[in-house]
Amino acid sequence: MSQKTTTEPPKEKAYRKLYTSKLLRETMTLHILSTKTASQNGRLVWVTSGFPVEIPVAFDTVAAYPEQYGAIVGSEKCGPLLCGFAEELGFSQELCSYARSSIGSVKKPEQSPLTGLPIPQALLACNNICGTVLGWYEAVSEMTGAPVYLVDTPPLEGDQPPHHLAYVKSNLEGLITFMSETFNQPYDEEKLLQVADLSNTAVNLWTKSLEACKNKPSPLNCADRFLSMAPIVALRGTQQAIDFYQAFYGEVKERVKQGLGAIREERVRLLWDNIPPWFTIYNFFNTLAKKGVVFPADSYTHAWSANIPRGEALESIAQVYSKIWLNKGLSAKIDKMCNLIKDYELDGFVLFSVRSCKRYSLGQMVTKEVITRRTGVPGVIIEGDMVDSQQYNEAQAETRVDALLEMIL
Amino acid sequence: MVKQSNYGIGIDVGSTTTKAVLIDSTGKVRARYLLATGASAKKSIQRCLDELVSQSKQDLSGITMISTGYGRSQANFVSKSVTEITCHGIGIHSLNKEIQTLIDVGGQDSKVIRIGSNGRPTDFELNDKCSAGTGRFLEVMAQVLEIPIQELGSLALKAKSPSVISSTCTVFAESEVIGRIGAGDTPANIAAGIHKAMAAKIATLSQRVGVVKPVAVTGGVALNPGFRFYLAKQLQTELWVPDEPQYTGALGAALLAIDTHE
Repeated sequence: MSQKTTTEPPKEKAYRKLYTSKLLRETMTLHILSTKTASQNGRLVWVTSGFPVEIPVAFDTVAAYPEQYGAIVGSEKCGPLLCGFAEELGFSQELCSYARSSIGSVKKPEQSPLTGLPIPQALLACNNICGTVLGWYEAVSEMTGAPVYLVDTPPLEGDQPPHHLAYVKSNLEGLITFMSETFNQPYDEEKLLQVADLSNTAVNLWTKSLEACKNKPSPLNCADRFLSMAPIVALRGTQQAIDFYQAFYGEVKERVKQGLGAIREERVRLLWDNIPPWFTIYNFFNTLAKKGVVFPADSYTHAWSANIPRGEALESIAQVYSKIWLNKGLSAKIDKMCNLIKDYELDGFVLFSVRSCKRYSLGQMVTKEVITRRTGVPGVIIEGDMVDSQQYNEAQAETRVDALLEMIL
Repeated sequence: MVKQSNYGIGIDVGSTTTKAVLIDSTGKVRARYLLATGASAKKSIQRCLDELVSQSKQDLSGITMISTGYGRSQANFVSKSVTEITCHGIGIHSLNKEIQTLIDVGGQDSKVIRIGSNGRPTDFELNDKCSAGTGRFLEVMAQVLEIPIQELGSLALKAKSPSVISSTCTVFAESEVIGRIGAGDTPANIAAGIHKAMAAKIATLSQRVGVVKPVAVTGGVALNPGFRFYLAKQLQTELWVPDEPQYTGALGAALLAIDTHE
């Protein structure tokens, strides 16, 4: 091998970095600090990603997200270590790796990133995303002493019948009582409506940013969206989320105006399905960016795009959170993905089969077949996990995606 | 003398064996070689290329080469790398234009490919991250039965009443086979049970893509008559096998090399 003797200009990267990523970092750092303070002041709740967070926010509590913490664990590449701590307690390797890494971090915070999430005063789970959350939070409850409240949203097919709505609403009324008693604060409906307005404003900015990806070239790639969704998950219902998404949407609009894509040379536009492999998120998407592959849409980050309608607060919230499409069955998810492929003019799709997340990954073989039949574009299933890198084989994933590209190009 | 540009080389660096094929512009195979990939893919690639030189008596410099297979990135001197999915599609199409579905069963990998009108794949499925349904499964079972791998398939065809081997997991099936030996099953019956289990696994993989006839089988395991028998039975179709089923991917890569040059 010959050594380079001349000074060459640095090679341009295949992707463009968002300048608002600095603001994102600052926003999320402040949020993490606020969770620590809230824990010390006895006002921290842990919530699941599909939980109606507007309610605990209206009770002046701060919400921390174990799933988001799982993403940090994955990105820090310590998933196998933390999952191992939970496995030592007897939890199965088949259990969700967000649950395992969360339980592992509660057991050994000193060996966990950010020394784990601060200890909560309440654990708030909503099973609209999966049923595992209840068992997971109960396990954490045993370890921390924090009580669990479950908002039960039975799965829906088609429209929501009145008895379903009434049942979920009664669960939210129970939540109000639970929050009032646990945090010694009366319920204020007007305040909840104000929080819902703040939530809607942030959701609208986020949705507009996602929809800007219909442009060619797409201003955002998959990793951009997966990282930038942190405030819409963790800070929904707060001014901080609005401040961030105003800046973020500003940058997205600027990219569209200037015709700047998330990647330098856009050749193939694909849909992504499922949570990403956090431990290799940059490597995965940037390697494909070098081949001209961009992902203008995905099924996951579009999940936070519903507005809470003005009206009776609890009823509106019950409607929105029952209809999260993971709670609506496979056909709703397939419809959603087919629409994304058409609306964003995508050439193919990648379904990531996540070993841990059965709820999200269930039915992907049928999904693949139906999407291709309906849209005419090819797709591929790759296997792995979001946190547990032991479940992921890079060479196998690469061969599958490369073969898909050879079918498209 | 034929001009160098009229040749193409395909190198298929598989997890178990490395195959290389030199063809001329008419698609005729001028030289080919196969050896175990072993610990160094780079060394096995070089050995293959040396063999092509020696068989064809050609200087290979300047000939377009395309690599494929799991070790395709190890051949860093080639014009480009193409996945084994595409190369197998192109390869089988050149050998038999009728084939609609290809089942390739290699050492540690099995795949089912739907072949498009030009040989390009239109859909595919690969095996899971384990050796169930691959040649490795049969190798381990042959070791347990203390039978050379080359004889396992023909032994299976002599079975009178195939043993029931329910597992396709290599580790669990090994225990099951030991159990069958202990229970006094004949080696032929056990061998047949092993092939039936393997064929069932491959048939399931095939159903995911959809089995459209005619169907071809390639890869090292296609040489095994026991596997072919039970797979044909399972899929209820005849199976077409090329003369040299292991070279299909390398042949496809060589054909793509000619196309690239042209």
